[in-house]
Amino acid sequence: MSPDPAQAQRRTKQVGHILNMERIEKRFGVVKALDGVDFTLEAGEIHALLGVNGAGKSTLIKILSGVYSKDAGTIRLGGAELELGSPRAAIEAGIACVQQHPELVGDLTGAENIFLGDEALRAGLFQRMDRRALRARAQALLSRFPVEVDLNAKVADMPAVDREIVAILHALRRDDIRILILDEPTSTLTEREKASLFRLMRSLKAAGIAIIYITHRLEEVFEIADRFTVFRAGRNVASFTASEARAQGISIPTLMLDRESGDIFPARDGDGTGTPVLEVTDLSREGQFRNVSFAARRGEILGLFGLVGSGIDELSKTLFGALAADGGTIRLHGREQRFRSPAEALRKGMFLVPGDRRAEGLTLDEDVVFNTTLANPGRSAGLAGLLRFGSNRRATAELATRVALQPPRLDRPARAFSGGNQQKIVIAKGLYCKADVYIFVEPTVGVDIGARATLYQIMRDLSREAAVIVMSSDCDEVHGLADRTLALYKGRPIGEPRRGTSRDDLLSAGIMGAVPA
Amino acid sequence: MTDFGQALGPAQARRRTDPRHVLTRYGFFVLLAVVFVTFALLRPAFASEANLNEMMRSAAIAGLMFLGLTWIIAAGEIDVSFMSVAALANMIVAVLVRDGAGWGTASLAGLGAGLLFGALNALLVGVMRLPALVITIATGALAASIAAALGLGTSISLSQTGFVGRILAANLGVVPLVALVVLAIYALAWWAQERLTFGHYIYALEQNRAAVVEAGVPVNRILVLLYLLSGSLSALAGILLAAALSSGQPYLGNSYFLDGLTAVLLGGMALKLGKPNVIGTLAGIFLLIGLLNGAALLGWTDSQRQIVRGSLLLVGVSLVVLSRRRNRT
Amino acid sequence: MTRSTILWRGLAFVALLAIIALVFQSQSAAYLSSGNLRALARHMSVQGLAALGLTFVIVVRQYDLSFPGVASLGAMTLGWLIASGAPLSLAIAGGIGVGAAIGLVNGIAVARFRLPDIVTTIATGGVAIGLSYFYSNGTSISENFFMSGILDINDRRVLGLDQPFAILAGVALVAFVLLHATRFGHAFYATGENRVSARFSGVPVERYVLVAFALSGAGACLAITLLVASSGAANVTAGNQLLMPAFAAVYLGAALFGRPSVGATLAGTLLMSAMLNGFTLLAIPYYYSDAIVSTVLILAIAGFDPRITAVLGQPFRRTSEARP
Repeated sequence: MSPDPAQAQRRTKQVGHILNMERIEKRFGVVKALDGVDFTLEAGEIHALLGVNGAGKSTLIKILSGVYSKDAGTIRLGGAELELGSPRAAIEAGIACVQQHPELVGDLTGAENIFLGDEALRAGLFQRMDRRALRARAQALLSRFPVEVDLNAKVADMPAVDREIVAILHALRRDDIRILILDEPTSTLTEREKASLFRLMRSLKAAGIAIIYITHRLEEVFEIADRFTVFRAGRNVASFTASEARAQGISIPTLMLDRESGDIFPARDGDGTGTPVLEVTDLSREGQFRNVSFAARRGEILGLFGLVGSGIDELSKTLFGALAADGGTIRLHGREQRFRSPAEALRKGMFLVPGDRRAEGLTLDEDVVFNTTLANPGRSAGLAGLLRFGSNRRATAELATRVALQPPRLDRPARAFSGGNQQKIVIAKGLYCKADVYIFVEPTVGVDIGARATLYQIMRDLSREAAVIVMSSDCDEVHGLADRTLALYKGRPIGEPRRGTSRDDLLSAGIMGAVPA
Repeated sequence: MTDFGQALGPAQARRRTDPRHVLTRYGFFVLLAVVFVTFALLRPAFASEANLNEMMRSAAIAGLMFLGLTWIIAAGEIDVSFMSVAALANMIVAVLVRDGAGWGTASLAGLGAGLLFGALNALLVGVMRLPALVITIATGALAASIAAALGLGTSISLSQTGFVGRILAANLGVVPLVALVVLAIYALAWWAQERLTFGHYIYALEQNRAAVVEAGVPVNRILVLLYLLSGSLSALAGILLAAALSSGQPYLGNSYFLDGLTAVLLGGMALKLGKPNVIGTLAGIFLLIGLLNGAALLGWTDSQRQIVRGSLLLVGVSLVVLSRRRNRT
Repeated sequence: MTRSTILWRGLAFVALLAIIALVFQSQSAAYLSSGNLRALARHMSVQGLAALGLTFVIVVRQYDLSFPGVASLGAMTLGWLIASGAPLSLAIAGGIGVGAAIGLVNGIAVARFRLPDIVTTIATGGVAIGLSYFYSNGTSISENFFMSGILDINDRRVLGLDQPFAILAGVALVAFVLLHATRFGHAFYATGENRVSARFSGVPVERYVLVAFALSGAGACLAITLLVASSGAANVTAGNQLLMPAFAAVYLGAALFGRPSVGATLAGTLLMSAMLNGFTLLAIPYYYSDAIVSTVLILAIAGFDPRITAVLGQPFRRTSEARP
């Protein structure tokens, strides 16, 4: 009698687990980034981590690579329990991570970057550099994999995929790496480059290295991954193999989207009859986006959905005069505009709530009044540029109430507020400008769910007096908030802005470039 | 045969054939030669044995003072205290020799002061990561002030220059012995810069500190070593200057300040396309000394030469920024 | 910064000043005499004007090392104009104008052409020193000074104050209003703290960097005008003594009050002048002054660096946390 095959399979599966993460929890202030997540990895598999922004993928891999410490839960590697206190400890344990934007030294060659810190036989500052041996070692490492890179070229001169390969080889320069984490390695790669990266990943897998692979691009995961884990709102909602997905007809987009999140969006009330304020025709910028056309009306919210690398960030900055367009026209109130600087765009009635609010939106060490009034000196200052302290403070207090700033302490520096409240300060700054067009880029990244609802309500209210454009890589957000939506895929608009596009259609358009039916 | 070009790899092939790269790499040496030949033709005294010997001696002393600075700037930091440390060592030697100490003891004391200030910079900038410019302005002022205080605000003249003077005066043919020693030090430094991990990390550090730290390289230790080196070699130069000038000059730092930065930044154009390097610094020193010496023979005033110095530094920094910006795109 | 921390820091400043005054008063009874306080104020006027100019550059997070050279050039320009019989107002305007012009060159090089500020300003400072030799081949100029009335700048009294101090007070008031009560001041701070966000808020950041360098050059030359007026001669080394005290004043003030500002710079200048004046009074030679200034500067930076204060503050925090 042969033993029960299913049982045997289960046993080998359990033996095959090299990594077990159980009930992992992590909080950032009031935000629960990971809420009791289980995750297992088998030896020699390529495991895709999927989920919308803020679903918890990055937090999980940062815990696994020793950047964050977990609040609760256990990590077992090859059966033994493990505490990962630092990135070094993770590497010692055989876990290496390649960041989304890996740190490389541009003027050094590929070989030198691979062995940065390990150039000589022993570590130290006064070891002999044998460049020929270094090249040979790098070449030997490279030759184990079916990819071709000129390792003698400077990294700065390399195409994106070669840099990615160099970064991966740098992570693998030690022989004892068993788990490799790749964070969005394909976001800047072309199709052909992607194929070459996938070849490398398959050969790593053949060499017994397990790969955790984070991506937003669903069209490519079936091509490369063996198993999938989908995250949503800090939880692991499903784990399955490719064949299970096919057999059971699992829809990954459906799993990724949060059904309950519908409640946090205010009712859509744009009827699309308002006069167009901003009209964009065939706007293009070399290498970033092309032929983008839309009209934004007062009285409605226009939503643009696009992943990292889709060009939405550059598009927003081009509309705001911070980047120059190569072609196409921008009309504001029917008059063609060529903004030479953000200052000019601001004067003419545009306002950008930028995607990186700490780096682009706020003067962090200054207080709320300073930040709120900075962009409209015509209003905040009078004769000879003298500031109107009293009225500025009153106006700020009023706006702070309007955006529900918590705590409403106007003399605190912006740095002291939480992410959501920092975003409210940027919005207050926009409101103070009384602009005609508001562009919000990634408005709720790093914002907890309660503050999100408030921000969405503010944006909806704002749409009654100005044209509001929301650009985001969060499909739910764009779909739930906007009256009309458009997806950008690799710099190209998919179709035209439409009312009533379904969530799934919008998602497929943004992550696969599929034209909605 | 045709496979050869391909075997080199596209990047290398490009590098070998681009004449502009060759020009910027070695053009500086051509400029140097042009300056020397021109002055020699205009003023035969320029090429006299005595003048060449004197220029080489000055270059050797400046070379000592600017070696540490070269690597500090290459690593993306700054040191504006080097010339004051030299002045301090110079005054310490002068005071001790005047008061009857031997040149050996005095030199050791001067060197000790250099090490002390190097260690102070190393601690504040390398270990505590305080802003390098303001810190070295302050430590430099401290050293300069102590130097002035040692001589009660004036210079100290020395009646004898001891064994240091004999070493300094020794010649092998036209070439001063110190010049040969400094040349050997520079050869060693070039080897460390090009063949040891140390030099490799210095340049990597300037470009992407995060990458170097992430790779586990002891970055702080590199900076500590660089500031210690700069302090002690500057002190050594100060000691030699005590014998060369047979006096202690509390304000001798002033003239070396601009020259040091100019030699390092302008010299960075040679060989490494805008990155400070030891051979480049040596070439930069010779260019400056040649120009200033030649200009003096042509009867230029101090002020005109000062303007030449400042302008050269401005040209140097512009060239560095422009060439590196072009290189990057 | 909240009100209570400003108060706390202000108290720390007053305490420091009181300690300095107490120490010197105990050594020399003349320290707090009106005559010495007037001398202190005069000293502070020169240093304060240079430091105020530098404050703008530090607020936009750049460095200016050219102002000693620029000040020397300004002094010689002033002296030459007076010696050649130009009206006093024109001569003073000429000296300050030269400073603003070289500051503008610095600003253009740094803001427009993005040259590194440290080396660029060292170079322009070097060129300025060279140019300053041109007027008289390096000898000092005092011709015509008595007739021109420049010495009166030093001797006249305004509203019961010595004129140099009155000038400092006036300039400080203007600078205070500009930096802390106008939109331009906000733009300077926004430019320094986060250039991208400032640009996205419509601030023309390049222009503000440029103006900051011009103000630094002009401030140095105004300071040197007072020095020339008090010494009665212009010479090429006039600016040499400005660099250290100006940096020390700005950094000491910024360390005390948490960031560079007009008030902080004045406080820093007052502390430096109170010390240097005391040493002068005790007849301690001038060459010790830089040693004192630089030691104070190092201690201020090291002592107030956030990481250091965190380490120093730890024992206190631990005990306060341990308490229930």
